[in-house]
Amino acid sequence: MSSPGEARLAVRVGRRLGDFSFACDIDVPLAGVTALFGASGAGKTTFINLVAGLQRPDSGRIVVGSRVFFDSEARVNEPVERRELGIVFQDARLFPHLTVHKNLMFGLRRARRRTAAPHIAFDAVVQLLGLAGMLERRPHTLSGGERQRVAVGRALLAQPRLLLMDEPLASLDGPRKAEVLPYIERLSDELDVPIVYVSHAVDEVLRLARRLVVLDRGMVVASGLVDDVLPDPAVARLFPAIEAGSLLHCVVRSHDERYGLSLLELEGGGVLRVPRVDLATGAALRVRIPARDVALSLSQPLDVSTVNRLPGTIIDMNRLDVTHIDVRVALGNARPMRARVTREAADRLGLAAGQPVWCLIKSVALDRATLLMAPDPGSEATESTLAIDPRGSRASRK
Amino acid sequence: MLRRTLLPVLLFTCALTAQARDLTVFAAASLQDAFAEIGQMYRQGGAHDVGFSFAASSALARQIEQGAPAAVFASADEQWMDYLQQRGLIVADTRKSLLGNQLVLVVPADSTATVELKPGFDFARLLGGRRWVTGDPRSVPVGRYAQEALTRLGVWQFARSRLVRAENVRAALALVERGEAAAGIVYATDAAVSRKVRVAAVFPADTHTPITYPMAIVSRQDSAAARDFVQFLQGPEAAATFRKFGFSVR
Amino acid sequence: MLTPTEIIALRLSLQVALSAVAFSLPLAVLVAWALSRVDFAGKSLLHAFVHLPLVLPPVVIGYFLLVLFGTRGPIGGWLDEAFGLRLIFSRSGAALAAAVMSFPLMVRAIRLALDAVDRRLEDAARTLGATRFDVFFNVTLPLMLPGIISGCIVAFAAALGDFGATITFVGNVEGETQTLSLAIYSLAQSPDGDAAALRLVIISLVLALAALLFSEWVARRVRTYIGRA
Repeated sequence: MSSPGEARLAVRVGRRLGDFSFACDIDVPLAGVTALFGASGAGKTTFINLVAGLQRPDSGRIVVGSRVFFDSEARVNEPVERRELGIVFQDARLFPHLTVHKNLMFGLRRARRRTAAPHIAFDAVVQLLGLAGMLERRPHTLSGGERQRVAVGRALLAQPRLLLMDEPLASLDGPRKAEVLPYIERLSDELDVPIVYVSHAVDEVLRLARRLVVLDRGMVVASGLVDDVLPDPAVARLFPAIEAGSLLHCVVRSHDERYGLSLLELEGGGVLRVPRVDLATGAALRVRIPARDVALSLSQPLDVSTVNRLPGTIIDMNRLDVTHIDVRVALGNARPMRARVTREAADRLGLAAGQPVWCLIKSVALDRATLLMAPDPGSEATESTLAIDPRGSRASRK
Repeated sequence: MLRRTLLPVLLFTCALTAQARDLTVFAAASLQDAFAEIGQMYRQGGAHDVGFSFAASSALARQIEQGAPAAVFASADEQWMDYLQQRGLIVADTRKSLLGNQLVLVVPADSTATVELKPGFDFARLLGGRRWVTGDPRSVPVGRYAQEALTRLGVWQFARSRLVRAENVRAALALVERGEAAAGIVYATDAAVSRKVRVAAVFPADTHTPITYPMAIVSRQDSAAARDFVQFLQGPEAAATFRKFGFSVR
Repeated sequence: MLTPTEIIALRLSLQVALSAVAFSLPLAVLVAWALSRVDFAGKSLLHAFVHLPLVLPPVVIGYFLLVLFGTRGPIGGWLDEAFGLRLIFSRSGAALAAAVMSFPLMVRAIRLALDAVDRRLEDAARTLGATRFDVFFNVTLPLMLPGIISGCIVAFAAALGDFGATITFVGNVEGETQTLSLAIYSLAQSPDGDAAALRLVIISLVLALAALLFSEWVARRVRTYIGRA
């Protein structure tokens, strides 16, 4: 799974605190953005505290890149200040007695004592996060969003080998979140720092992360690429906010000005028609389709209003609950499409694995699929983020 | 439960007050030992009970002025008795000065210092960089006498800069006994009762006003018991006791 | 307006109180830290011991100091032999007595300030590469500052006012240990000292009030400065 020489983040620990026990076994590449997703109380903050060294595991091993931070058997426990991590806390935690400038310099000054050549420069960070106007101000005069940006900047300037962000947007309201999110998106693009992004907000995870680790009550439930993990019904069962569905990769093929539509070509063939998106042809994007917005038909539906009809073959069927079944349909070489059908319908249609079927995707589903439109992080395309306005027709680029 | 503890406490307090002194005597600190013994003798005589409060004459006079319930006042100098008399606080015709004392320079018992108390004597050498103690010359009689004597001998300017002011003569004595002060000026009678100090020299009588102990009855507390005690103080048994302790008796 | 004796007493009081506070400060911070952040056997004993001067009669404290630090006492004797330092009858002794009496007040104020510092900020500082020492001097201490300043000023006022411990331990020596309280006491004993005593009483009152008001003002200013107003 890991290529030789690739730096990894490996955390295998156990810790008990009163009633709460936390155990995880995570081994992911130390690159790009890895999201750590879970409900409140799932252990996300515990994870951060353990990796940071602010709490001590009862047993296990924590390895970041080439450094062993903790090993209960070898009795290694690297002190917090030597771990060279950057932590962005939910509550910013800016030092109230220092100006923004001094806050930013706090980590940098100390990092300079360690290494001669800091690779994340002050000016670059200030520019990246738009902090130029606030350098001489005090934290208590800043808004929540501004504070978080400074917190991010401060953590970055400490020259971290890994940036851990603990629900940095949780204490912000909608407009502030929207203000700060783009800055965080640019982080992983423009700076060469791996990020672990902890959150319980699905939309943030989708927008920012390439890999996803799901925690539930202190245990790791799933780990892998976002595209693979997120649609998994097992995950969806735990988190109603994540609807089981499909994540499809496509490329903009053309625009139909007459009908106000854009044509998206799916990997592996197939075409989706969506309300016009403001992207150039050739632009790559991901599209999320909730499973319950996909209907199945045994024959090619010609007399229906549904715009998008894709042929495929049933891979497997899994019972979700007493009423519903999750059906996975292979669409050529693309990632599978997921459809949620009633058991009654499945029996009536005689659905079974191997059966050719047609997937009907209500175009409404695409409007609501505001989730993410980031091109697959890791692909060559570098378009910036996109959001489809759920109400309307126009997608706008940020 | 409350009654069970309250009642005994009340009774006890009543008993205490019932035993309340018929008589309270305020006397200068230097009279402590002599008066205690005389008081014992008086009580054994059976007439009245008597209690004492010993402190610097200055403190006692001020307390009497504030209304303290002393019946008899024995001061270590005439000035404090004058102070009360001027304010009409004592029965003037009961005022008598019968006792006398001497002023001495003491050093800790283990000190080998010697000195001759003549004009311009080398006080600095005696002190060896340390300090000497007596009652506060501003108010305490022994301090006043000391200041007088040292001024007469021409060393007061220096002495003043090395002075530790004590509450009363016994406090001064204690500091010398403890060795904290290199020397002290106290009454001969005080030095006599202490085994931890040695008299280095006696101040010649012409260096200071004669030390006398006026005694009087406090007007507000005038009573038969008070007069009875004063009479006893001025009697032969008391005189013998005073002499025993080193006071001169007229 | 003021006689030389009174001026000497005033100046001495200020000197003694200032040195008392200055020298107890580091120890007070240390003790406050130990009581607030460290767990060790005998912690409640330390707490009780530190607060004794608040509870015991000052004269008792003075007496203990005399027994320990007097010229023939165990510590006093050693100081005399080793350094020729005698605390009794001296300004340093007066400062020691004042320091002991005001110590609990300082420790309390500093400890409160320490408890109020957000530990999460300290955690954040550590994640940014600061050692514990570094964190203390650059994060904790600045944030404790208003509390430390109030503590010092209140301790200063308490030190100014001590009587029992001072007179019992170092005696009444004009220019060396005769602080305002002792001077007032002496003057009150003298037949003609009332007027002077009253003058000094007023001065003491003014000083104490000024100190308390100043402490409040400073604490407020520093709080705004560090953004906690």
